[in-house]
Amino acid sequence: MTSPTPPSSASDDIRVVAPAFADLRALAAAPVSVATWRGISQIVVGSFVLLVAAIAFTVALSLSLSLLVLFVGIPMLVATLWACRPFAAVERARLHAQLDVTIPAPTYPRRDGVWASWWAVLSDGRTWAHVAYLVVAGLLLTAQGIAVTFAAGFALGGLVYPVVALAAGLTGPPIPLVLMVPAALLCAWVAAITVQAGSLAIVRLGRSLLGSSPRAEAVELARQAQARAAQAEGRAVQLTETRTAAVGAADEERRRIERDLHDGAQQRLVALGVELGSARRKASSDPEAAAALEHAHREVKETLAELRDLVRGIHPAVLTDRGLDAALSALAARSPVPVRVDVPEPPSLSRASTAAQAAAYFVAAEALTNAAKHAQAQAVTVTATVAGENLRLVVADDGRGGARATPGSGLDGLRSRVAALDGTFDLDSPAGAGTRLTVEVPCAS
Amino acid sequence: MRIVIAEDSVLLLDGLTRLLAAEGHDVTGYTTADEVVAALGPSAAVPDILVTDVRMPPSHTDEGLRAAVHLRSLHPRLPVLVLSQYVEQRYARELFASDVRGLGYVLKDRVADVDEFLDALGRVAGGGTVIDPEVVAQILARARRSGLETLTPRERDVLGLMAEGRSNAAIADRLVVGLPAVEKHVTSIFTKLDLPQAADDHRRVLAVLRWLEHEPTNGERP
Repeated sequence: MTSPTPPSSASDDIRVVAPAFADLRALAAAPVSVATWRGISQIVVGSFVLLVAAIAFTVALSLSLSLLVLFVGIPMLVATLWACRPFAAVERARLHAQLDVTIPAPTYPRRDGVWASWWAVLSDGRTWAHVAYLVVAGLLLTAQGIAVTFAAGFALGGLVYPVVALAAGLTGPPIPLVLMVPAALLCAWVAAITVQAGSLAIVRLGRSLLGSSPRAEAVELARQAQARAAQAEGRAVQLTETRTAAVGAADEERRRIERDLHDGAQQRLVALGVELGSARRKASSDPEAAAALEHAHREVKETLAELRDLVRGIHPAVLTDRGLDAALSALAARSPVPVRVDVPEPPSLSRASTAAQAAAYFVAAEALTNAAKHAQAQAVTVTATVAGENLRLVVADDGRGGARATPGSGLDGLRSRVAALDGTFDLDSPAGAGTRLTVEVPCAS
Repeated sequence: MRIVIAEDSVLLLDGLTRLLAAEGHDVTGYTTADEVVAALGPSAAVPDILVTDVRMPPSHTDEGLRAAVHLRSLHPRLPVLVLSQYVEQRYARELFASDVRGLGYVLKDRVADVDEFLDALGRVAGGGTVIDPEVVAQILARARRSGLETLTPRERDVLGLMAEGRSNAAIADRLVVGLPAVEKHVTSIFTKLDLPQAADDHRRVLAVLRWLEHEPTNGERP
């Protein structure tokens, strides 16, 4: 996440208000720079604002201090201090308008109750920083105003005097006229540099005394980061939950389809097979009818076998009824490649959740199919254990290796399924050296 | 024969009833495991065979299996043929925990193969053992005993057929070989696996299953 960059930040200040200090060309062009003229206007307007504010503040402060012995002095002192806050806002707005510098407003502490709110004003460091700004910036602008006025005055004088002197026909000037022009230019340049330096100083001062304190800023940044982290964490938890729920819903749906097929189509087909079988026995007198019935009967039996394989692929009922250990035996028995099933502690597997056991089962089923179909393996070992908090399944064959979980393949789908349960999927299949598939799924998933 | 069937699919129960009635059997059908357990109480007349589905109401898990185990403890001589949409070793172990005499456990789809179903029904009712080839395959996959690898592929086939509860004659028939060849294989298997030579078929099934499942033999029944 990226937050929008503020129009001007502390690092931009030199470039914006005092380019003369940033690079040599701007240094040479200082007297004609926009920054200089902005700086002059800032000095003029700022001097007035600060003068008025200083007078008002001094009057209010002395009045409230002198009345401090009477109770009324206290609220007056509070009000005087509080008034520095709108003053700071005015100054921030002025610096923004005149120098194009944005200083973020600080947040002031708030307290409920009269005394507490008064004390909050009196004890607030930021508000006292505004007072310090009023004093320091006032002195700075005054000194700067004097310096600039002198330098600019010399520059103006040095440029105007030779013209006037020549026009009036005066002779014998105290300084040679030729020297006066470069001296005047130097003064103009010094004035411009002073103006820019003053702008930079007032901006720096404003940033530290009118804006929020560095500590408050750090706290605010930390708070934002924390909020974002909490948000991300909440999102992660939510995603994990919905993902687990989605896997669970898919498993449940498979079980439901398996039940429906078992109760419906499979029973009907078996019944049909029985009917056809008994009809065939009776129809032995009519060879043609017997042949037709024989054919139909064979078709039904083949369909039954296909349906049984299909139903097993959707969800093996033994997995629901007797768990992973029993389901692995059933898988091994159907494999055309001899399979050794090794479950050292069958009861421990029941510690794994239904979803974890189902994932392990389907991984084993896919691995056994691959061992027979692609790897041309002679022997396969399936090992299932519960190690710590994980259900661990290892399927190792002695086939030709080179298996890869290419996108869209059965193995890839299983990897996603395992990943959805926060499990690990490790396929080790060097060419010519067999395939070893290791899957670990958290028992609690 | 007097046959009791527990099967929650009315359609299939109807088909089986008609098939078996046509074969001349006396058939009583129930659609829940509880009904069968109630009907075959301690004082009830024991039928010649009970045929039961595994998955039945109310929870649709293994009611039929539990009913079968319960009724066997009540009537030890009651032959039971368990039908299941899927057969699993775990269920078989629960079912064959004590005795294999007059017990069958086959895939429900095999019912459609009417001749094979009637054959299994007859064998179980006659005190034999019928275990679905799929269950045997599962047991073989889980067998951890050493010695299995010393068997030739043919001997493994014979071992599997023995575990299914087939007699030597049936094995010879299935593998399309002569009876002496089968007997030779069986002797070889028993020698290699160091199994006690069993006199009858169900003791042989039990010995093979126990050996394969590696379960401690706690007092074999006669």
